[in-house]
Amino acid sequence: MHHALEVHQLAKTYPGGVEAVRGISFEVAAGEVFGMLGPNGAGKSTTIGMLTTAVRPSSSSARVAGHDVVGRPLAARAVSSVVFQEAVVDRSLSGRRNLEIHARLWGVEPRDAGPRITELAAALGLAELLERPVATYSGGQRRRLEIARALTSRPQLLFLDEPTVGLDPRIRAELIDLIAGLGDRAETTILLTTHYLDEAERLCDRLAVLHDGRIVALDTPHALRAELGDQIVELRVAGDGEAALGVLAQDGIAGADAFRVGSTVTVPLHGRPAADAIAGIEQAGLHAVAITTRPPTLDDVYLRLTGGQLAA
Amino acid sequence: MTTTTPELVRPRPPLARNPLSPLMTLAGRRFQLSARTPRELVVPLLTPILFALVIAPALKEALHTGSAYEAFVATGTIGLLIPLNTMFAGLGVLVDGETGARAELLAAPIRRPLLVLANLVVAFAITALQVAVLIGVAHLRGIPFDTTGTGTLWFLAACSLFTIGMYGAAETLAARVPRTEEYIARVPAIAIVPWFLAGSLFPITALPVGLTWIARFLPLTHALALVRYGLLSDPAGLHAIWRMHSVTTMAALSLLVVGAFAALLLAVAIRVFTRTAVR
Repeated sequence: MHHALEVHQLAKTYPGGVEAVRGISFEVAAGEVFGMLGPNGAGKSTTIGMLTTAVRPSSSSARVAGHDVVGRPLAARAVSSVVFQEAVVDRSLSGRRNLEIHARLWGVEPRDAGPRITELAAALGLAELLERPVATYSGGQRRRLEIARALTSRPQLLFLDEPTVGLDPRIRAELIDLIAGLGDRAETTILLTTHYLDEAERLCDRLAVLHDGRIVALDTPHALRAELGDQIVELRVAGDGEAALGVLAQDGIAGADAFRVGSTVTVPLHGRPAADAIAGIEQAGLHAVAITTRPPTLDDVYLRLTGGQLAA
Repeated sequence: MTTTTPELVRPRPPLARNPLSPLMTLAGRRFQLSARTPRELVVPLLTPILFALVIAPALKEALHTGSAYEAFVATGTIGLLIPLNTMFAGLGVLVDGETGARAELLAAPIRRPLLVLANLVVAFAITALQVAVLIGVAHLRGIPFDTTGTGTLWFLAACSLFTIGMYGAAETLAARVPRTEEYIARVPAIAIVPWFLAGSLFPITALPVGLTWIARFLPLTHALALVRYGLLSDPAGLHAIWRMHSVTTMAALSLLVVGAFAALLLAVAIRVFTRTAVR
C-alpha cells in the first residue's frame, strides 16, 4: 500500500545548468488536495512535468499511486490525468470527441465511456456544448472541458497546473467552486499549482510553498498562517522600505520574520500589543503613510517565504 | 507543522488491452483533424496534377517528343507529390505542439512512438489516395501506362517505402524546428530540390556528370526509376543508376536503397520525437 503520491529528493537540472527543482520531498495522502504555491520560475510546472513523465528527473524519483515515474512511466500515466496550464485540446474536434479520445487512450471500456462522458458533461455544465467544435468554446468552457476530460478515466491522481490562470474573475470563481467540489468527493487525489493565494487557501488541505526550486514551507493553510501569530502590523512608509525595516529591527520592534515588499513593511506581533508596536514605530521617526493592524493572511506567509517576489 | 493521517492507495494493475487499439484511436484522431483541414489534402495535389496534365503535354508539343515523354513526366510527378504531401502532413504535428493536444497525448498511458506511427498511417493513406487520383487523372487525360502485375508490385513497394521515408523526414523536422514558419522555410529544400535532380523531367544521364553521381545517391532517383519500371515497363532509369544487365537485380537493389531510406528515416523520426517529447 502506498501514498497517492510520494516524492523523495526530486531534482531537475536543465541543460545549461538551470536548477529548476533542487531536491524536494513530500507525500500526498489519497483524497487530499495538495497545493504547490510559488512565484514564476519556482519549479512548480517542472515538478508537475516530472510527476507526469514529461520531464525526466535529474536525480531521485517519485511514485504516483505506487508506480515509479521513471521505472514504470506507463503505469504512472495510467492512473493520473493532467489539466495543463495552457489550452491543450483539439480545437477542430467536438468536445465529445476530445473526451472520447482520452477515454480510449486511457483504456476506459467503450461501454463505460459513453455514460461517463454524459455524467461529466452534465456535472460540469457542458451537456449543451458537447457536439460543438472546441474552437467555438469560451475560455471557461474550454477549461471545464479539459477538467471533464481529465476525469473521464477516473484518475487516482489529478494534476491541475495553474488551472485558473488567464480566466476572467467570474469564470475563475466558478472554476474554483468546481474544483472544490472535486476535492469534496475525495475519489481523486489532487495536486494543484497556483500563484493565486485565495485559490490555494480555499481548495487545499495542505500547501507546499516553493521558492527557487526548494520547498520553503509545507503545512495546512491554517498552520502556515499561525506561524505569523494572530496579528500583524503593516506599515507603509514614504521613503525606503528596506531602511525602515532595518530601523524597526534595530529597535527590537521587527523580529526575524518581518519582511518588506516595496515601501510596505509587515511586522508579525506574536502576542505583543499592537499599540506598543505602533508607538515604537512613531518613536523610530519613520514617515508612515499608513499603519494597519490585521490578522495575517496566506499572502503574508507567501511574501515572507518567497522574499517578497511577486508572481507575474 | 501539523500532520495528516495518510490514506493509502493500492496500485491499479497496468492496462491489459489490444496494443492496436491506441494506434487506431490516434490514427482516427489524426484523420479527423486532416479531414477538417481540406487544404492539407488538396494543396499537395495541385502542383503534380498541373505538371502531369498541363506542363507535360505542353512540353511534348514544344519539344516535339512522343507520348512516352508525357508518361515520363506524369510518373515523375509522383516524386513531387509524395514529398509535398508528407511534408504537409508534418505541419499537423507542429500544430499539435503549438495549439493542439500534443501534451495530453504525451501524458497518455501509451508508448510514445505510437504517436509517430499513427501520424504515419494517416499520411500514408492520404498519399496513397492522392497518388491514385494523380494516376487516374493522367489516365483519363490519355497518358499511356504499360504495367503488369509484377510491375504494379514494384511500383507499390517503391511508393510505399518512399512515403514512409519522407514522412520520417517530415516528422523529424517537425520535432526539431520550434515554429511553423521555420518548418515551411525548409520544405522546398527537402521536397522540391531533389525532385529536379532525381530524373523527374529528364533522365539523370542528361545532367552534368557530377550531378548524375549525386542523383544516383538520392532515394528519390531510385524510387522514380522503380515507379517507371513498374508503371511504364521502362527500365531506363534503373540502367542509368546501376548500369547492370539484370533488370530484376537492379530493381531489387533500388528497392533495397528505398527500403533502407525508409527504415532509417522512420527510426530517426521515432528517436527524435521520443527524445524531444521528454525534457
